[in-house]
Amino acid sequence: MPETILATYGLSKKFGDRWAVKDINLEVHAGDVFGFLGPNGAGKSTTIRMILTLLSPTAGSVKIFGREVKENRRFVLSKVCGIVEKPDFYLFLSAYKNLEVLGSLTRKVTKDEIFETLEMVGLRSRAYDKVKTFSHGMKQRLGIAQAILTKPELIILDEPTSGLDPQGMKEVRALVLGLSKEHGTTVFLSSHLLAELEVVANRMAVLNHGELIAQGAVSELLGGDSSYYSLQVSPQDDALELLKKTEWVELVSVANGIDVRIEPQRAAELNRLLVTNGIDVSSFAAKRTLEDFFLKITEGASEV
Amino acid sequence: MKFFSLEVQKTFRRWRTYIGFAAVAGAVILLEIIIKMNEASMAKGFAGNLNSDFLVSGNILNVWTITTFIMNSLYVHVPFLIALVAGDMVSSEGASGTIRFLLIRPPSRSRIIFSKYLTMLFYTAALIFFLAALCIGIGLAFFGSGDVIRFQSGIPHIVILPERIAASRTLLAFVAAILSMSVVGSLAFLFSTLVDNSIGPIIGSMAVVIIFLIVENLPFESLEAVRPYLFTTYMNIWQLFLDEPINWGEVGKYSLALIGHDALFFGISYLVFLRKDIKS
Repeated sequence: MPETILATYGLSKKFGDRWAVKDINLEVHAGDVFGFLGPNGAGKSTTIRMILTLLSPTAGSVKIFGREVKENRRFVLSKVCGIVEKPDFYLFLSAYKNLEVLGSLTRKVTKDEIFETLEMVGLRSRAYDKVKTFSHGMKQRLGIAQAILTKPELIILDEPTSGLDPQGMKEVRALVLGLSKEHGTTVFLSSHLLAELEVVANRMAVLNHGELIAQGAVSELLGGDSSYYSLQVSPQDDALELLKKTEWVELVSVANGIDVRIEPQRAAELNRLLVTNGIDVSSFAAKRTLEDFFLKITEGASEV
Repeated sequence: MKFFSLEVQKTFRRWRTYIGFAAVAGAVILLEIIIKMNEASMAKGFAGNLNSDFLVSGNILNVWTITTFIMNSLYVHVPFLIALVAGDMVSSEGASGTIRFLLIRPPSRSRIIFSKYLTMLFYTAALIFFLAALCIGIGLAFFGSGDVIRFQSGIPHIVILPERIAASRTLLAFVAAILSMSVVGSLAFLFSTLVDNSIGPIIGSMAVVIIFLIVENLPFESLEAVRPYLFTTYMNIWQLFLDEPINWGEVGKYSLALIGHDALFFGISYLVFLRKDIKS
């Protein structure tokens, strides 16, 4: 049985009459790279804010390292660090000074540790530059630097690749994987990008409209989810006519192509059907977007 | 102490902090130069009021007289400079988003708010001592020392403070001014915990000071009952130290009123900050 590092129990937050998140029960194990997935506005940041004591829950509780966060704030937060939403710094201070100020709130940090961390995120050469001269991507990397500086056991990163270019995203993913594999750090990673979490996370929870709709190993949650396909065909009208007549094909949308839903094992059969009816198929791609994934699991939830 | 030191470092690395010092320096230097340029006419005018009944001799327009004059002149301006920094202490962390980094660290919210409040008091003291150093330094160079002649409040009469005690009384007056200004700072600090922008607390606290000063000075009997509850009533505590003898009873009463307001404003700030949900 893996050790539970972070657990929430019926965690809920109400703003006015609206429940931002309701009855969230998360379980993050030691060494996990735990993906926290949900579209914008699903309640991910609100949940993270409650975990990190920035918001007080309307109901429920949070335990980290087996202790109630509310009663053991100092102990818990000395082993946890993170970024909540975008990383904001003292713009009038240098990157070095920002890390020194923020790091020393947890424990004494040495000059070497600061430089080592800046090196890890590729900002060593900009150590003494004021943060106001940094681009969004650099601030994002500095945000990760402040999160890992004190070598916490649990790192909580809220949309850490937001606003980064593809290269920056790749570097952050590599950094996260490195923290987990080389240092054994547990990483709680929120994102609205399924593809991002697929690459790095081993376990995942999915939040939608403030409610937890799925939680488990990524392989279990996403396994076999290739029933949505996007087709580029010509002539499209003929293809549409044909697909409408085919009982085992469900038309999902028609825009720049045709999106359909079929059982995965019938994909080849559909391709054959189109070709044998004189329709050119220039693209036949399985779709596994977050939207599709949500469609599947929310449908599942409503059937129960 | 570590956290307080970090707060002081942050505060004194911002250019905004130095606006107060620059403004005080500009105002004091300008006033002293103007007074020096018009020294003869001012001395004549000052002595003229007394010459009809008294024989006045010696350097009556000296550093201590000028310092008192400047303190009176900057009565409304210094609070603004205090509010400029105090009103920004907590709100700027919210506006910039750094509050999120700050509050997910081990130090408790109590420690954070205490450190910030202490930093505000430190800034207030630093600004007033800077004002004192400038007034006395330039004043001594321009006007030299001497006895202080002034009209005493309460039952009006003339007081002569010998040169040897004028210096200590002036320094005490500056210390009292710190207490007086700390209330404005505390009010701006309170507003600063309520919002996530700096302008609101600065304007808000200055609006309160100005409204209170107006109410305090309006010659209506109906306002008499209100005045003891306005902190501005006690802000001229520093003048009590220039009376002879010092009315310690009044000093105690004024001090208690000012400390009470400090405690009230800080107490509310503390409770607000402890319960504050960080949504920004």
